Amino acid sequence: MSKRGASSSVGRVADSAQESVEDSAELAALVALEEGLAVALRATDPERALAELALRPELGGLRERVAAISGDGLRLSALLVARLRFERLVQGSDEASAWFDRDPAGFAAAFRRYHASVPASALFPADEAELFSRWCEGAGLDP
Amino acid sequence: MVRGVGVGFVLQPEERYLELLEPVFGELADYFEIAPETTWWGEADGSLTTNGFAERFAELGERWAPASAVSKPFVAHGVGLSLGGARPEDRPRQLRWQRRIAEDHRRFGFAWLSDHLAVTDIGGEAHALPLPLVPTPTVAAQVRRRLAELRAIVPAVAVENAAHTFTFGDPLEETTLIAGVLELPGSHLLLDLYNLAMMAENMGFAAADYLARLDLSRVIELHIAGGSWSPDGWLPSRRSYLLDSHSSAVPESVWSLLAQVLPRCTGLRGVTLERMEGTVGEGDVRGIEAELRRLRAVVEASA
Repeated sequence: MSKRGASSSVGRVADSAQESVEDSAELAALVALEEGLAVALRATDPERALAELALRPELGGLRERVAAISGDGLRLSALLVARLRFERLVQGSDEASAWFDRDPAGFAAAFRRYHASVPASALFPADEAELFSRWCEGAGLDP
Repeated sequence: MVRGVGVGFVLQPEERYLELLEPVFGELADYFEIAPETTWWGEADGSLTTNGFAERFAELGERWAPASAVSKPFVAHGVGLSLGGARPEDRPRQLRWQRRIAEDHRRFGFAWLSDHLAVTDIGGEAHALPLPLVPTPTVAAQVRRRLAELRAIVPAVAVENAAHTFTFGDPLEETTLIAGVLELPGSHLLLDLYNLAMMAENMGFAAADYLARLDLSRVIELHIAGGSWSPDGWLPSRRSYLLDSHSSAVPESVWSLLAQVLPRCTGLRGVTLERMEGTVGEGDVRGIEAELRRLRAVVEASA
C-alpha cells in the first residue's frame, strides 16, 4: 500500500473484521477488571483495593486471575504509575515544578492527595498541568 | 529500509540526551527508533499535532543518512496505543492515534511499527505504564484486530513483551498470548531481552523456559537495555524488584541471552539498544559507544 493511502485506511480493518472468537461476556468482565485495576493503582492501599476487586461478581471467571496477582507487584506498579504522573506534571507545569523545588515535602503531600482523588485522564504534560491547576483551585491551594 | 540485521538506537525527547549522544548514534546506529507519541502535542479538542521533536528527529535522520538515502531509517515503537485494552470508549482515541501515526509514517517512512503487548489506557485512565493483559483467546483476538488496523498503515507490525511487576497467574502464560496474537499473518514479535530477564528475576522463572515456548522465527526486532533495583524502602515488605528503567549499562545476563537467541531469530531485522532520557550524562557517553560497538560485533558474528 502506498503511504499516500495510509490515512484513508485508518479503522477500516476493524470495521470489517469482527472476530467470532471474542466473547462478549468476557469482554464485559475485562472492562470491569480494567476499571477496578485503574482505581486500585491510585488507591492509598492498592492491596486492599485489589482484594475488594477480587470479590466483585461482574468479574465472573476473572476473579481467580485477580486473586493470583502479587500484592507487592501491584503496589510497585502503583508507585511507578504515580511516578510517571508526577514526572508528567512537573514537565507540564512551571508552577508545580517551582513548588516542588522550594517545598518538596509540601508538594509531595499535595501530589499524593491529587493523585488519589483525580482520575489520571491526562496523557500529555500540558493536560496534566491543567488538571492539577483545577484541582488546586478547588482545594484552595495556591501553587 | 534496514537491510539485513541492523543496529538501532533510541532517540529520546530530551535535548541534552540528543546533543551528548549524537556523534555516537549518528555514526554507529543503522537506524533510529522513536516513540511516535513523544513527537506529539495533545490539543484541547483531542486532536494531535507535532511538537518540536518531530522536526528534530527528522533532522537527525537527514544529517546521518547513509550515502544511498535521504535519511537514516526510522522504526516506530510506541508505549500508549493500549493494544490490549477492552473499553469500547477508547475507540475514538485509538482512531486519532492511528491517524497521527499515518501522518508520522508519511514523514519518517517507518520500516516497522511496534507497541507493547499491554494496556495503558485502563478504565478511562491514562496510566502510561504498560500493564499486563489477561492471557485469553478473547484478548489475543482484540490485539490482533488492532494490529491489523496498524498494518494497514505500516505494513510490518509487532508487539513487544512488556516488563510487568505482576501478572494474572503464571507469567509463562504470556507466551500463549503472544502465539495467539501472532496468528495474524504478517505480524511479528519485538522480543525485549531485558524485559524478559527482569520478569524472570522478579517472578522466579527461567528465561530459557519462556524462550522455548516462543516461535523465534517471528521476531523482527530485539531490544537490549539495562535497569536498576527498586529501593528496599519502597515496599512494606522491603522486597526489591528489578526495574525496567533503561538507566544503566546492559547487564552480562542480557548479552548472554542475546547471543543465545540471535541464531534462532531467522526473521530478525534489527537489534536496538535502549536508554531512557534523564539517565545520560557526559560520563555515560563512552560506555554507550562501547555498547553499540559490542552490539554490532555480536550481530555480525551471528550472521
